[in-house]
Amino acid sequence: MTALDSRVAVPADPAPDGVAPQRRGRRAARRGRDNRTAYLMIAPMVVLLGIFVMWPLVYSVYLSTFKISFYEEPEFVGLDFYQYVLDSPRFWESIWVGLYYAVLTVPTGIVIALLLASFIKTLSRRAAAFMKTTVYLPAVVSTVVASVLFVFMYQDEGVVNWMLGLLNRGPVNWLNDPGYALPAIAVPGIWLSFGITTLILLAGLLDIPENYYESAQLDGAGFFARLFRITIPLLKNVLLYLLVTGFTLAIQLFELPLIMTNGGPVDATTTPNLYIFNSFRDLTPYATSFSLTASLMLFVVLGAISLVIFRLVNSDKAIDG
Amino acid sequence: MKKTVPQRVFSAVLITLISVSVMFPLAWMAIAGFKGKTEVLRSPFQFFPDMWRWDNYSAILADPQFLRAMGITVVGALIFTALSLTVNTLAAYAFARLEFTGKRFWWVYCLTPMFIPAMAILLTSFMVVSKLGMLDTLAVLIIPGAASSAQMFFIRQFYLGFPMAVEEAALVDGATRWQIFVRVFLPQSAAPFVVMGIAAYLAYWNAYVWPVLTITDPDLTQIMQFLGNFRSDRGNDWGLLMAGSTLASLPTIALLLVFQRFIVNGVRISGIK
Repeated sequence: MTALDSRVAVPADPAPDGVAPQRRGRRAARRGRDNRTAYLMIAPMVVLLGIFVMWPLVYSVYLSTFKISFYEEPEFVGLDFYQYVLDSPRFWESIWVGLYYAVLTVPTGIVIALLLASFIKTLSRRAAAFMKTTVYLPAVVSTVVASVLFVFMYQDEGVVNWMLGLLNRGPVNWLNDPGYALPAIAVPGIWLSFGITTLILLAGLLDIPENYYESAQLDGAGFFARLFRITIPLLKNVLLYLLVTGFTLAIQLFELPLIMTNGGPVDATTTPNLYIFNSFRDLTPYATSFSLTASLMLFVVLGAISLVIFRLVNSDKAIDG
Repeated sequence: MKKTVPQRVFSAVLITLISVSVMFPLAWMAIAGFKGKTEVLRSPFQFFPDMWRWDNYSAILADPQFLRAMGITVVGALIFTALSLTVNTLAAYAFARLEFTGKRFWWVYCLTPMFIPAMAILLTSFMVVSKLGMLDTLAVLIIPGAASSAQMFFIRQFYLGFPMAVEEAALVDGATRWQIFVRVFLPQSAAPFVVMGIAAYLAYWNAYVWPVLTITDPDLTQIMQFLGNFRSDRGNDWGLLMAGSTLASLPTIALLLVFQRFIVNGVRISGIK
């Protein structure tokens, strides 16, 4: 383990004995030692990221400019694959699926979370602690378990259709109907993620001074007036953060449709990442180059979005920028 | 604000309703594990089993593959957690408290991975680990993900908040940076370590795609991979599958319940709010 090596390699402080060196010399020596210590400390991380993140990224970019197939030598094609991906209708369809999923889940998730957080805020300490743990519970469940579980619940004789039956509605073939499959996947999607959203919003709500609400109430502001005039404006940054992170996560949705439907029926649940993954596995011509290129194009867009979020969030947060 | 009796009743009803609906899928999964093969998707619908039987739970617990998958995943997750905390904490301390040449460059370098979607490097990472001969070893599950920008950033934010005075006093006393890190910073890092340690443990435990790509050896099959395969191999035995899923989720739920205070507050200090 590199981490342990660096620990062993740090020498005991070779403090000069006897003579008290001059201040300036001492500071320089200190900096020299800090350099050494600092590099030893960041070395394991730098090396691991280099091998398993940075190099694969560079390699992806490099490979995306080649035509790779099993039968011929790789051939340099420049940016041809980028054009090819942009011209591919299935790639655009998958983007639409991703956007539709984001529209289904992100606003719904935030509204549910805001309602829950407002409710939890009114509770006593103990009840609030209980509720916080309860809403967080689904977040520790794995996507695989959630997928398998919801497939089970969506069976023809499953519990969801039973509930519909109580309302005198016929059984729906949830995961095999192109119109229902994506909304059916959105439900476990929201279930897995709304807990964290709720806790973040709760933290934001608790930061709003209580006397804002009290004076508003004295002025006769009703529940909705307080919600739209106080809560939402003051939570603007948090809500913006949640919208944008929610969006980037939603568009990257991958495991739920992979396990629940594998992109079917008729590609109705083929999200961009699933499309990329499946086109890599299909032995279509130039599958490697094609999927690499498509994933890089998504990366550029999503990376840019998350960089902007990070700038926003970090700007007034970090102590030394 | 004192609450009136109707308000209290209303709150209590709402709490019950919300908890029941949030937990319903999990409860349903556990209940299905108690149902027999013919009962589990029977029409007309039945909520509880005719008879609570342990058959599914004992059958899955007697399955050596399931037990091995659980065991190997626990081992892997523990090593992964320890390794990733070590790597990221070291870097976090250096970035929070030390001045060194090229700090800005390395800071950007260590943070950039946070903005790289997994899919963009999934395929080439796979090529890299297969070149390195890491396929079908525990190392391929542990080492590539150990360095985490998000975790390093979280711990670094925590260290930034430490008062400078402690460190300066120790420096004057002739302590090395290393001694300060080990004796002053580490002992006070329990809270971020628990939050980030659990996040790392969960990430490893719940991973699916990476193990599916890199592990084919049945002896190293990870628990989520086992459940995924189970569904395609024996998809119709829902009772058994639900029992297995319940058992596979228990360790993570137990972690949440034990450390709930840290985790729930951890969201708050995670840098957003």
